[in-house]
Amino acid sequence: MTLAHSEMPTPERVRSAAFTPTRLGRRGIDESEVHAFCGWVADGLGMLLNDNNMLQAEIMRLRDRLLEGKGRAGVQPEDAHAQAVQVLSKAQQTADRYVADAQEYSRELAEEARLRRDEILNEAKVRASMILEDAHTTATKAANAARDTPEPLSAAERQDLQAEIAYLRTFSDVCRTHLRAYLESLTRSIDEWENAEHNGALTARPPLPLPLSHPASRPTEHV
Amino acid sequence: MDERRLKESFARAAAYGDQVPLFFYSHLFLDHPETRAMFPVSMANQRDKLLNALGRVIADVSNHDALVPFLQGLGRDHRKFGTLAAHYPAVGASLLATLAHFNGTEWNDELARDWTEAYTAIAQVMTEAAAADETANPASWEATVVGHERRTMDIAVLRVLPDAPFRYIPGQSVAVECEARPRLWRYYSMANAPRHDGTIDFHVRIIDGGTVSSALARSVSVGSRLRLGAPLGTLTLDTGSRRDIVLAAGSTGLAPLKAIIEHAAGLGDPPRIHLVFGARTAAELYDLADLEKMAAQWPWLTVTPAVSAEPEYRGDTGTVADVIGRRVPLAGQDAYICGSPAMVTATADRLHLLGMAPDHIHVEDFGWSES
Repeated sequence: MTLAHSEMPTPERVRSAAFTPTRLGRRGIDESEVHAFCGWVADGLGMLLNDNNMLQAEIMRLRDRLLEGKGRAGVQPEDAHAQAVQVLSKAQQTADRYVADAQEYSRELAEEARLRRDEILNEAKVRASMILEDAHTTATKAANAARDTPEPLSAAERQDLQAEIAYLRTFSDVCRTHLRAYLESLTRSIDEWENAEHNGALTARPPLPLPLSHPASRPTEHV
Repeated sequence: MDERRLKESFARAAAYGDQVPLFFYSHLFLDHPETRAMFPVSMANQRDKLLNALGRVIADVSNHDALVPFLQGLGRDHRKFGTLAAHYPAVGASLLATLAHFNGTEWNDELARDWTEAYTAIAQVMTEAAAADETANPASWEATVVGHERRTMDIAVLRVLPDAPFRYIPGQSVAVECEARPRLWRYYSMANAPRHDGTIDFHVRIIDGGTVSSALARSVSVGSRLRLGAPLGTLTLDTGSRRDIVLAAGSTGLAPLKAIIEHAAGLGDPPRIHLVFGARTAAELYDLADLEKMAAQWPWLTVTPAVSAEPEYRGDTGTVADVIGRRVPLAGQDAYICGSPAMVTATADRLHLLGMAPDHIHVEDFGWSES
């Protein structure tokens, strides 16, 4: 479904809202559409509530003036008090709005960062298992080739094969070390990213511990 | 006191919605500026709470059996904010001024008398409950963080040691405030049965944009100080029931259920317990190692992890509700469910559908709706 933000939500539009079902294999309806729709309704409601508040305040003001006209003359202390209450209320509403906006912004940022993080980790995981699988296949092939050789190996051939096996072992070790370093640096950058985010908001604080477990830090599982 | 008049005048004011608590707090802060410091900067949530509480009191005004325990709880709960008996008349005066303001020309001396009488009665129940609580408990418990483990990117397990003995029933929760987020209280469940050394574990999951959860998981560290309110909540083990138990935990909803397992372990003859612990991915099963240790130690305990968003996972895949439906015989069992509101609703509905009696299903939505 599509929404034009200049439109105001009406009860009819909200009741008749329809959402696209998600792609095959996932249940439910398109989450982003629902979010957009809720945002649109919330904006509209916010505007209506604001208008409503202003009108209520206006009614109060007019009513107070009417009461004033009926019996009292001049500015009474109660009126001054009521006005002070209105001023303070306005200030409070402004503060509430700022806090709500800041919180919403931080929620959006955090959500985006989390989704991106999951994506990066997933990609790394897939790459890690692919590389290890490759190494594993190569090693198996080499082992089979060695076993399937019909005739006894000559000394030179044996030496060649042993060198090949030693090379493959080293290659596999190097692969693992690189992967580990890559994943660790990834984890570190995410921590730094969080740290930076926090130093912006908070005063100095002790460094974060490294996450104690996540799947990608144990690539040896797949071997 | 005329109950009908009371309700009508409240309804007239309540029709102005958010304007009413807005006026009330501004009036209170103007007349008693010292009360402002007891509240957070943003008052939006606070206003909802006041209007809801008032609405509940007025609706139940003649139903003393329901009203009195509610007010007593409210009175006790307000101690942690630093509310004193001396604050009650100030609140009463601002409440009356607010009602008068929104009732306009309908307001009269009779109504003022009705409301004064009603508020005096309400304040009396609240202050008496607070005073009775004072002889037994502090207003709040100061505590030190003695352990802080980041189990995943989004989940931390905190171990805290209260300065004074903190008594609770396993499965209960408590309002927590940290130095980095003053006057913002969020509820967390104790994740263990009371220990000899007095330490308490909390499982904290970072909620996107959640001000308190992110502070507890990221900026709090060993040595940080926290404040705890009074323990509350009813998701506790029904020790009178002889039925076996299924526990359904969604992510950090595990906390109160783990406490319940430890509670059962302390009983002479523990019931058979089957815990299904759900998360999106295997890596998010942040406490599985500990749970498996418990299951190895206690033959009456079975632990089944459930992973909902990782198709290549080798164990049970699906939501907690799915896995319970497949794996756990439910006849003649009690169920305890804790997790996100969506998880709790889905699981309770499924158990009901599978024939479990509604009064055997114990639930708690907990800690996830931060704002």
